[in-house]
Amino acid sequence: MIEKLSTLWPEITLLIAATLSMILGVSPSLAIRRLCAPIAAAALVIAGLLAYGDDPRAATVPNLALPHLAQYGKVITAAIGLLLLLLCVGLPDRDYEAKLARGGVFDALRNTRGEFYAFFLFSLTGLMLCAGADDLIWLFLALELVSLPTYIMVAISTSRNRSMEAAVKYFFLGALGAATFLYGFALIYGATGTTYLPKIAEIFQAQYAAGGLSGIAVAGLVLSVIGVCFKIAAVPMHFYTADVYQGAHASVTAFLAFVPKTAGFFALMLLLATVGWASGEATTSGLPQPLHTILWIIAVLTMTAGNVLAVLQNSVKRIFAYSSIAHSGYMLVGLIAGPVVGDGSLQSSGLAAVLFYLVAYGVTNVGVFAVLASLEKRKAGAAAETTDEVDSISDFRGLCSTSPLLGWTLVISCVGLLGLPPLLGFFSKMPLLTSGIRAGEYGLVVVLVINSAIAAYYYLRIASTALLESPDLASSSTVRPVGIPTRPIAGLAAAACVVALSLYTITDFARFGAKYDLPHKQVIPAPSAPSAKEAPAKSPSAPSAPAAQPQANVPGATTTN
Amino acid sequence: MTLGAVDIASYLPVLLLMTMAILFAIGNLAGSQLIGPRRTGAVKEGTYESGMNPVGNARKRFNIRFYLIAMVFLVFDIEIIFLYPWAVTFPNLDHQYADGAVWLGRILFFMLTTIVAYIYGYRKGVFKFD
Repeated sequence: MIEKLSTLWPEITLLIAATLSMILGVSPSLAIRRLCAPIAAAALVIAGLLAYGDDPRAATVPNLALPHLAQYGKVITAAIGLLLLLLCVGLPDRDYEAKLARGGVFDALRNTRGEFYAFFLFSLTGLMLCAGADDLIWLFLALELVSLPTYIMVAISTSRNRSMEAAVKYFFLGALGAATFLYGFALIYGATGTTYLPKIAEIFQAQYAAGGLSGIAVAGLVLSVIGVCFKIAAVPMHFYTADVYQGAHASVTAFLAFVPKTAGFFALMLLLATVGWASGEATTSGLPQPLHTILWIIAVLTMTAGNVLAVLQNSVKRIFAYSSIAHSGYMLVGLIAGPVVGDGSLQSSGLAAVLFYLVAYGVTNVGVFAVLASLEKRKAGAAAETTDEVDSISDFRGLCSTSPLLGWTLVISCVGLLGLPPLLGFFSKMPLLTSGIRAGEYGLVVVLVINSAIAAYYYLRIASTALLESPDLASSSTVRPVGIPTRPIAGLAAAACVVALSLYTITDFARFGAKYDLPHKQVIPAPSAPSAKEAPAKSPSAPSAPAAQPQANVPGATTTN
Repeated sequence: MTLGAVDIASYLPVLLLMTMAILFAIGNLAGSQLIGPRRTGAVKEGTYESGMNPVGNARKRFNIRFYLIAMVFLVFDIEIIFLYPWAVTFPNLDHQYADGAVWLGRILFFMLTTIVAYIYGYRKGVFKFD
């Protein structure tokens, strides 16, 4: 138990920083209040370096199907968390601080800065914990730690009623999702008698050998998958997305589009790894039939509904909300295709493709929302304070000529999300397609390609409005940059990442994160910490070891306490 | 682990209990509808206040401070709930048991979290009555 703590230093770092910023953020002194953001940034850097430095998972818990997922997840959480932090700086309490500067009296109760940064870090802590989960209860708590702070972040992101409404909607539907997967977890526990994921995998393998999964186990898995669909905004649970994304401030929307979605995909990977993608012989991929069917339907509906509904929107935030649904659908294709045993190449391992896609989507998404957050709109006759967020497509008319940096960031990010060849979106969507073909999912691949074509309509519509049309000077409202320098910087950094990552893709790291051992053939790795250049694991054709042999020393007792 | 193959039949007592609970509720409602006397009066129709005479209106406004105090109270309430069983168990630990420090460390860490919550509440001005 106490040894397990040593694998959690990145999370502990974030937790300490969250506590610090919670207390410093209510200080009456502005200089101290301003420390919150630097503390959060420092904590994210330290947590990322700690996570990158060693592979804690392989050292203490040898018997996990996805041994490197934790390290990969923690590093990308810290990296994209930094970009998101740049985007969120200056957001909390902007109006309130302006009022104080005009000579108000500080009232700690009205101030939300400390809470905002604390919840930001708590949510990222949950994401890191989610990547390293090896137990159903741990996984549930991590998923909730990701979600609960985001409800409040939505509510305090602006002072408008729309944000409150969005937060309440998000909270109630989130509670429904949590209840659904919690019920699923309970059924899985009922079917296997344990909450420890490697042990569950072992029992599922025994059930396969005895003729098939028990009905309760299948019901539990299906309910868990559908519940987690809320986190990734996939079809049966996607209704909240557009309203919540539109109601929250653009900076928080960028956070919502990356953090809960990534947590959901980590959870799905860990859950599906217990049944394994090789239920039959090792050559064919395949989840158990009911799960495969359900995920297949969810993937097709998610891709199609997301893209078709996005075409109908005029609000940019709603377009990106529906496009975020569609991207979840694309990633589900990789999840269905599944990994190949051992390290695998990015082209064949669906999990590696999903892990890389998460980074690509996260980065490109920050670019888009940074542009949205950097601009504000003011009615011609209205007072100076009554600004509004830019939301309609026509607000971007001629953005490339009025503010070139923001305009080009928007164009690069939109084209990147679309997936045109020279940019990151292409290099991240390609492995999804190839892994789908490798797994024989031709139907899904065709749907994915058709949907990418539909998506071209709305992405190119936004990009061409910014690039080709001339600015609308006669309009009744003016669009101008917000005076917060970190937001354009976040956008520029994201756009630079989109270009840089497509020149030098980090696919090796994604492949490393997706390393997969068949549940019933797991070997206990050597005590030395393995690196990305580790010798390939045993080949799938190797004769399967007797299933009982490696499990003789399962450290079950260390986790139950 | 023999739980791998679950026999549904072992859940029969649960089903039986649920059926009994549902029948009990329906039976009571139906029974009082069918055989209960129907006499009414001013007192019987009034709000039940555990024997007190109801006074005034329920739509009374409370100071928001009570809400904040209640939240802080919850923190300490949870703390005592965990402290009590810990305090009962701790003396029974084997003195040769090396993990005693770990046990102490855990509860100290837990108390630290509540202290942080207290400091936060204090800075937020929860305990200020003016």
